[in-house]
Amino acid sequence: MSELPPTTSVKRWLVTTNHKDIGILYTITALFFLLFGGVLALLIRVQLWDPANQVLSGLAYNEAVTAHGLIMVFWFLSPFGFGFANYFVPLQIGADDLAFPRLNAVSYWMYLFSGVLLGISFFQGGTLSAGWTMYAPLNIPMYTPSIGSTGAVLALAMFTIGITASTVNFLTSIHHSRAEGMGIMDMPMFTWGILATVWMMLFAFAALLAVGLILAADRVLGSVYFSATEGGSLLWGHLFWFFGHPEVYIVFFPALGVMLELFQTFSGRRLVGRKWVIISICLISVQSFLVWMHHMFLTTINLEIKTLMMATTIGISLPFDLVVFSLIYTLIKGRIQFTTPFLFAFGALLLFILGGITGVFLGAIVLDYEFRGTYWVVAHFHYVMFGGATALFGGAYYWFPKVTGKMYDELLGKLHFVIFFVSFNMVYFSMFLGWETPRRVFEYNPAFQTFHQIGTIGAFILGFSFFIMFYNFAKSYVAGEPAGDNPWDYSRTAEWAVSSPPPLENWPNRPSYASGKLEFVKDYVPDGGPAVKADGDGNAATDGGNSHSDHIKEYPYWDKHPSHASIWPFALSLMTGFFLFGLSGFADSVTFIVGESIASTSVEISNVVYPVFIVVGLVGMIASGVKWGLEDFYAPPSEFAERWPFNGVEKVKLGMWFFLASDVIVFGAFLSAAIFVRYNAGWMTWEPLTESLPGLINTFVLITSSFTVILALVAAHRKSRQGILASLGATILLGFTFLAIKLWEWEHEIFDRGVMIASNAHGDPIQASIYYVTTGLHGLHVVIGLLIACYLFVRTYQGHYLEDERPIEYFGLYWHFVDIVWVFIFPLFYLF
Amino acid sequence: MIDPIILQQGSDWRAQAEVFDEIFFVFLALGTLVGTIVVAYTLWNVYKYRDDGGEPKEGFDAPTVGELPTGQGGPKAKKLFLSFGLSAIVVISLVVYAYGILLYVEEGPDTGEEGDIEILVEGYQFGWEYEYPNGHTTTGEMIVPADQRIDIEVTSRDVWHNFGSSELRIKSDAIPGETNSNWFSVSSEEVQAQGGEATFRVECFELCGSGHSAMKGQITVLPQDEWEEWYEGTEGDDSGSGNESATGNESATGNESASIDDAVSVSGAVAGGVPV
Repeated sequence: MSELPPTTSVKRWLVTTNHKDIGILYTITALFFLLFGGVLALLIRVQLWDPANQVLSGLAYNEAVTAHGLIMVFWFLSPFGFGFANYFVPLQIGADDLAFPRLNAVSYWMYLFSGVLLGISFFQGGTLSAGWTMYAPLNIPMYTPSIGSTGAVLALAMFTIGITASTVNFLTSIHHSRAEGMGIMDMPMFTWGILATVWMMLFAFAALLAVGLILAADRVLGSVYFSATEGGSLLWGHLFWFFGHPEVYIVFFPALGVMLELFQTFSGRRLVGRKWVIISICLISVQSFLVWMHHMFLTTINLEIKTLMMATTIGISLPFDLVVFSLIYTLIKGRIQFTTPFLFAFGALLLFILGGITGVFLGAIVLDYEFRGTYWVVAHFHYVMFGGATALFGGAYYWFPKVTGKMYDELLGKLHFVIFFVSFNMVYFSMFLGWETPRRVFEYNPAFQTFHQIGTIGAFILGFSFFIMFYNFAKSYVAGEPAGDNPWDYSRTAEWAVSSPPPLENWPNRPSYASGKLEFVKDYVPDGGPAVKADGDGNAATDGGNSHSDHIKEYPYWDKHPSHASIWPFALSLMTGFFLFGLSGFADSVTFIVGESIASTSVEISNVVYPVFIVVGLVGMIASGVKWGLEDFYAPPSEFAERWPFNGVEKVKLGMWFFLASDVIVFGAFLSAAIFVRYNAGWMTWEPLTESLPGLINTFVLITSSFTVILALVAAHRKSRQGILASLGATILLGFTFLAIKLWEWEHEIFDRGVMIASNAHGDPIQASIYYVTTGLHGLHVVIGLLIACYLFVRTYQGHYLEDERPIEYFGLYWHFVDIVWVFIFPLFYLF
Repeated sequence: MIDPIILQQGSDWRAQAEVFDEIFFVFLALGTLVGTIVVAYTLWNVYKYRDDGGEPKEGFDAPTVGELPTGQGGPKAKKLFLSFGLSAIVVISLVVYAYGILLYVEEGPDTGEEGDIEILVEGYQFGWEYEYPNGHTTTGEMIVPADQRIDIEVTSRDVWHNFGSSELRIKSDAIPGETNSNWFSVSSEEVQAQGGEATFRVECFELCGSGHSAMKGQITVLPQDEWEEWYEGTEGDDSGSGNESATGNESATGNESASIDDAVSVSGAVAGGVPV
């Protein structure tokens, strides 16, 4: 553990794990990607100026279209919202930080380096050109052969890993660290928006991770999932949109949360029908997983399913109706102040209404048949997603005084809004007028040229409007008026009760809502013992809401202070970036020449750069992981917190459960893919590729190893070091036995039976791909489990875990999960 | 914006373009109406309740920092549910109305005539190939007769395309390994109006690679007799066994043919007899 350097030091920003610092990093990085994606958008608009004269080649245009979509959806919209979430969710719920500060830093660095990988992919023979929806089989190397295409896919996978870490972190924080007295229904609406978002992310991004891993396997290892005519294209469609539809709300809900906050703050009214708005948000989150096939109405899915999906699609529009009306009625009888943040939030509502109405058109299947693949769809989702993001810019102005302590320039802010709003409608409303133009086409019907030219002019003005904002923020940061702690008349949430900017650990004393109102209570700490809660209105309570404590509070953590700095998140993410960069060129630089047996198989390396990055990255990842584990980093759970519905679940265990829930979806997607393809190929036409005996033995091996993990935990309870060593050692041995049998089985398949990842002497090649990739993913989980087990073994030998056996328990949870997955894999691949 | 081509043949069935134009008009009219009302109402209220710097009105209860949030109760909550109910009625009735028409489009009209024509459309990078019942193939241009229902079976040779004609209001995903059905028909009046030969632009509506933009095609509609003349001239220049000839009345009941196609796509090896 090291001390946190001052904000003027570059080192501070590399090692910080503080949620506010990371929130700032997210926001600035996201704005950079807004510019990146925006420049690509302008390239697209220039190309559309004239249907006959082109600036970009067809391939370059497709790259611009693809990267624009990917960057805006993944690298701009969500991270921009999560910048605010990082900064303000802990403040709004009365927490000191997120539950896992180092994990939070990892999420950010994974995000940044994944963006760097995406940037690099432009120089690896061109980035992906298959559209942000990456429909199969255009997304496989046969049709998009550049190394950069693989690089972009891996960048997305890396981004998804960071997102998963972030999701687990926010879920644990919001469910585990709310201040005393803040029930789940009492949370501010922005936090509610984020909570709904992360619940959706937990499942949706797991599906994206799965489909990204499968695509990476196709591109790097040569499996044939998405080129398979046994439903490969539709498999991509289903998996992608199972993620893709919730993603729309994942992007929109942070913005909705900002809208809900700002409408209240700038009208002086409380939200109308608050309870029903929350219920609507929860309903939408659940329903979002039941509508994905409305993106596939024109594929070969049958009428019954289409009808069902149409019904669920209309169903999901209804809770949105209620939220919109609630927003409107909240303003009535208020004292509405037309500040810049309010203008942006209000503009977002108007744009969203238009986006919503045009969305109802798409819900009617007959209309969707014609709108599919046209600019109607493009215009609609820009009104919804970018229209929603409009509120996020409102959020940027709203919270700017809190983050910097300075007030922005109101006149420039309003100017930005007016130019933004007018040019926004120039760009996207013109798309409705010229809607018959096919998407991603630049040689369009000249009849629509006027509309596209209006759009192009609007796009340049829209782009320019952001420079007003950048100038405003830069100028105000340097020379703005001091804003004070609470510049808004009717703000309610707790971030306005602390100084601007807030102190490192947020609160002067422990925040509590036990009396129904925010108060900072001073707990009584006996020497060396745990804190004793101050009584509700006792003399320990201080005047709530107006405390200006700047010093880092002396908080009752026995004798330890919480840590705020670690370099290992940065190192781990950088090394992951190295590894994935190496992987992107793996297929092009390493060739395996398979002979009669392992001995006669040789490897040919045509380019050493990529393999070197793979090795360096891999070693670096393991090294930084170990350093991370060894680091003395103290992030205590909140002493007194509202934890519904997870009362009594310890913090790390809760995080572990959330992680495993997302991993269930990852494996669920892999197994669904196996079942879907096999069903399309004709279920009974496939025989298991392998004999069932090795699989059966491995089943027993794994179940026994689950048992030995339990023995290790029992031994830890009894504080028996030798007991732990013996049972952990047995677990490790069983794990290696499993891997050895697995390798023998693979060797037998490859050399004796001629079953390889892309070719199969006994049936469809896709069957071999599914077998290797699915059991390979499981094997990878076993390998990671063994790495952790070895680490625990060494640490036990050094005398740890006798006082605190929780690490062994968490490892046990993971190991049991890996074993349970095998119980599903075994019948599917070995028996039937 | 509403395309005025009316492709009506008699009064008993309607082309997809006509169906689309009707629904689109209804949605557009209602959407504009609802949108205008909601936005106007909102703007008016935002103006009415602006902070004019005067004294707060009676009953204005400003929130304070650190309060636990409560919802605003009172008559507005009732109004919320009233508006919600109204909007739900509008949306649901719109969709039920559109659904009735969907069933028609899915089934296709029963023209009651012999000799409906089934054409296989295969997308490839970057063009379209059409195979006629007699085995003859053309690329780029599909040539069909007027006044007949044309059934198309759409698939792809390589990547995911989308076969569509904006003017005819037809569109089908072309997916490798899958076959998608659609239909269209052009009246002889329309052909006459276009000077004895009607042409419709075909475009690809799904990103399919570097040539996506230029992946155009054309549907040419000839008067019946001229088409038959052309069609007979194609006989024999192909080894086509012609066994996939027009299936007549069977395919006219499109519902059946659609479900057969689904069976093919679900378990091609079994039902479709596709070699594995």
